[in-house]
Amino acid sequence: MMKIGIDVGGTYTDAVLLDGSRLVEWAKTPTQPDNLLASLTGALDQILQVKGAGGITRVTISTTIITNLVVEEKYEPVALILIPGPGYNPKAWRLAPETRIIKGAVDFRGKIIQEIIQDEVLTVIKDLADKGFSKLAVVGKFSIRNPILEERVREIILGRYPDWEVELGHTTAGHLNFPRRAATTVLTAATKAKYARFVRQVEDAVRERKISAPIYVLKADGGTVPLGKSVHHPVDTIFSGPAASVLGALAMTGEQETGVVVDMGGTTTDLALILAGQPLVASQGAPIGHYKTQVRAFAVTSVALGGDSGLRVEDGQLKLDSRRYGPAACLGGPGPTPTDAFRVLALTDIGDLSLARGSMAELGAGLGLTPEEAAEEVAQLVTSRMVEVIEEMFRVWQEEPAYRLWEILHKAVERPRNIIGVGGAAVIVDRVAKAMGCTGFLPLHGRVANAVGAALAQPSVVVTLRADSQRGFYNIEEEGIQLPLPEGRDFKLADGVKLAEEWLKKRGQALGVEVALEEREVVRQEVFNLVRGHGTVGRIIDIIIQTPWKIEGLLEQQTMAAGRGGENHE
Amino acid sequence: MNKPTGLVFFPAFDWAISPTHPEREERLLYTRDQIFEEGILDLPEIVEYKPRLATVRDVARIHTCVPTVAKQTTEAHLVAAGGALVLADALMKGEIRNGFALVRPPGHHAMRMVHGNRGFCNINNEAIMVQYLRQKYGVKRIAIVDTDVHHGDGTQEIFWHDPDVLFISFHQDGRTLYPGTGFINEMGGPRAYGSTINIPLPPETGDDGLLYVLDNLILPIIREFQPDLIVNSAGQDNHYTDPLANMQITAQGYALLNKLLKPHLAVLEGGYAVESALPYVNLGIILAMAGLDFSHVVEPDNDPDRLEQKLEITEYISNVVNRLQADWRNREKLADRQLSPGQEFYERNKSIFYDTDYIQEEQLERLRICDHCPGYFSIETKAGGNGAKNSALAITVPIQACERCQREAHQLYREAKARREVDYIYLQENVDDLYQVFDCHKGIESIQE
Repeated sequence: MMKIGIDVGGTYTDAVLLDGSRLVEWAKTPTQPDNLLASLTGALDQILQVKGAGGITRVTISTTIITNLVVEEKYEPVALILIPGPGYNPKAWRLAPETRIIKGAVDFRGKIIQEIIQDEVLTVIKDLADKGFSKLAVVGKFSIRNPILEERVREIILGRYPDWEVELGHTTAGHLNFPRRAATTVLTAATKAKYARFVRQVEDAVRERKISAPIYVLKADGGTVPLGKSVHHPVDTIFSGPAASVLGALAMTGEQETGVVVDMGGTTTDLALILAGQPLVASQGAPIGHYKTQVRAFAVTSVALGGDSGLRVEDGQLKLDSRRYGPAACLGGPGPTPTDAFRVLALTDIGDLSLARGSMAELGAGLGLTPEEAAEEVAQLVTSRMVEVIEEMFRVWQEEPAYRLWEILHKAVERPRNIIGVGGAAVIVDRVAKAMGCTGFLPLHGRVANAVGAALAQPSVVVTLRADSQRGFYNIEEEGIQLPLPEGRDFKLADGVKLAEEWLKKRGQALGVEVALEEREVVRQEVFNLVRGHGTVGRIIDIIIQTPWKIEGLLEQQTMAAGRGGENHE
Repeated sequence: MNKPTGLVFFPAFDWAISPTHPEREERLLYTRDQIFEEGILDLPEIVEYKPRLATVRDVARIHTCVPTVAKQTTEAHLVAAGGALVLADALMKGEIRNGFALVRPPGHHAMRMVHGNRGFCNINNEAIMVQYLRQKYGVKRIAIVDTDVHHGDGTQEIFWHDPDVLFISFHQDGRTLYPGTGFINEMGGPRAYGSTINIPLPPETGDDGLLYVLDNLILPIIREFQPDLIVNSAGQDNHYTDPLANMQITAQGYALLNKLLKPHLAVLEGGYAVESALPYVNLGIILAMAGLDFSHVVEPDNDPDRLEQKLEITEYISNVVNRLQADWRNREKLADRQLSPGQEFYERNKSIFYDTDYIQEEQLERLRICDHCPGYFSIETKAGGNGAKNSALAITVPIQACERCQREAHQLYREAKARREVDYIYLQENVDDLYQVFDCHKGIESIQE
């Protein structure tokens, strides 16, 4: 089983070739921001140099293309049509530069409480056509409970402008959150064409290299999806970089406990929580640019603190800047950075020691310290900042709202036990671990953790079902569909679970994944008796069911020994 | 930016009185759906807090649970009360500008003495919160406005003798609705006369009537009382679709009420139109408290013509308001009539029925008339029916008690312990924040904390 993993990150592109669980080849090249495809193929070619392309069974890619498109606003203009119905004033949301609000409403149970008015829609789209729009996002409140209104609007639009691209809110999946659904739908409409082009280029490039293996792309929730299928939901691939690094860290440490993955880069550090061996999934969707989306993602906190962060002395106090002024002084940069401090403390051998010492001497002068003492001061400052952020992450997780008694009474109080450093975090992990009474881990191949994570990631399938036996319908949120219930009013929880299982299999097949039902996890199951007058008239059943989150095995030579300076928590 | 509005949302999706009871899991399901779907929890104006369990001491500060707090509460009750306390802390720490505890089960029918569940309530979430604010943070004067359609008889009874807690309840007239109390002449005990105000409203009162009462009675009285904090005991069953009552208030009416009242803390009470009212009313209240635009929160079946208040209702309400304005102005004179010169104790008998649990309770309440403080009081209680067969004596030393009253109350407690005439004897010591119980059969004294 030869697997390739490629992570096209903001700064570096990593690629690895794994034979089973053994790392055979790896490459790390600078990313060319203007040519992600070239970055990807460049790294790919390096790992193919020795062994060639024979026997490769799978290629998995994680990429920042969507993030870049959005952050740099390199997408085509999209107009948004909202069908909000009653509630918070929809004009208060700033979801797209061009937003139109039309009549029509669906309620929480999927009942249509106000119909679409065709003439109103025609007037709106005529105006949008005059302004030059041809890409539209149409999003209704509660459309995941009943998509009919969104579909009617699309019919009207395509009846008039058959070649327009219309993206409907309910098809972007996600849970209850109308503005996030709108943002996700706008981003989907905006990026779909460019992403599809990128996907075709990647496919061509891989095939040109005589690799016929299936190609997958990593999603922000750590699951994979066949590259060809990913064009329907391009925004799911945002944030797959941090997901890749978490998976890589897990593959290299076999972490079964509670810990934190620290991935330090030049300007930012990404921190992710692992709870009893499972990466924590964010309770809300991932943010991208100024958009709050519904994309399921690992709970990753990005801190504006990296090896290249600026350092200065202010009122006799050492200060860290969130800005980067350039590379580290030891690499010819303009001023002192944490990297220079680590160089002076011999925690890294990057760059020129005398340049690093010089920068620390400059910093120390303002503090009345020797270069070595100044470097120590810097290391302590960086450490305490990291510890602060990690403590805050745990606090936020502990304080996450809960809506069931059971959750309030049974939520375990977890403390991190291990701090796992990947990327450039090697220099700081032991100190952070020590400060928190944890064990520090530095995986041997931490520098290419992202690519390893991508290579070992597995497909994932989730189904969110709501059945309303009084109304006789059920919805699958991920599919954005509503269907009649098979058994009418006597529909019970067990029937709901069975139905959800069928959909899990069905969705798996559509994604090219074999779902083993005996492994499925029921994440949530709730039954609400519907009482009207004096009797029970039906039930509402909520079920979330998913394939277990997992990686395909651990990397051989998993860890460098623990505790290089770190204390064992036990 | 202004401070945000704090929200505790605890729908207790795994707790019900019974599967088909109005107080069941489904109650806040659509409210959750609406709030989540609106996406308003993403706004910087709203911050969500996680509830905690109220402690035994938090409950014992205000209630005498017979025989113990643990016997009279489930964890769901403690989380609902604890949710209100979390917001009280957030408010006093200056983290939020105001807060809404969207919790169930409710509490405003629970009285000081608790033998069981009445009116869907076991313990009184607002009263526990109010007492917590006074004892932990030293808040002196608090106004509670009960906006539930049912008279907040529990809260009224708890603060009946307390001149520093203004309790105002408007509700559907007690002659037409549970619990059948809350009439104009119920204005508080002799030493707290006028700190209880009841505004019985006729069936079919609409938004106009509600706002009239607010502008002409509730807000002027609050201004005069000068509370440090205002609490909304936020029932939602005045809504025109509520199945258990007959009023005509809309979500807009409730939102406007909160915009004008500006409560620091609101705690959810009743409201059983789970589909047609609660999602919209709760959303309206949250938006109003957070200073956000609620003008589009309109129920799908809201027909302004049908909901217009009838002329005779408007006139009736104006008469009620006139009468109460007069009583409020004359409250000191009216208070004097409650006592004869030199009277040392004020007594009243109470007969209380716990409708949910079918328990009948008889009480004798004795208030010490004191010139230096509101006076300590005792409640002798005997409950019967449906398994409850307890007698008890509970002595309360209020937070404002003078030294003499405190001494007398302790003396009374010691004497009662020696006599052992009832099953349990309680000393609720709000000055020392100490809550003792003496089990007469076992002869054991313990502290509730």
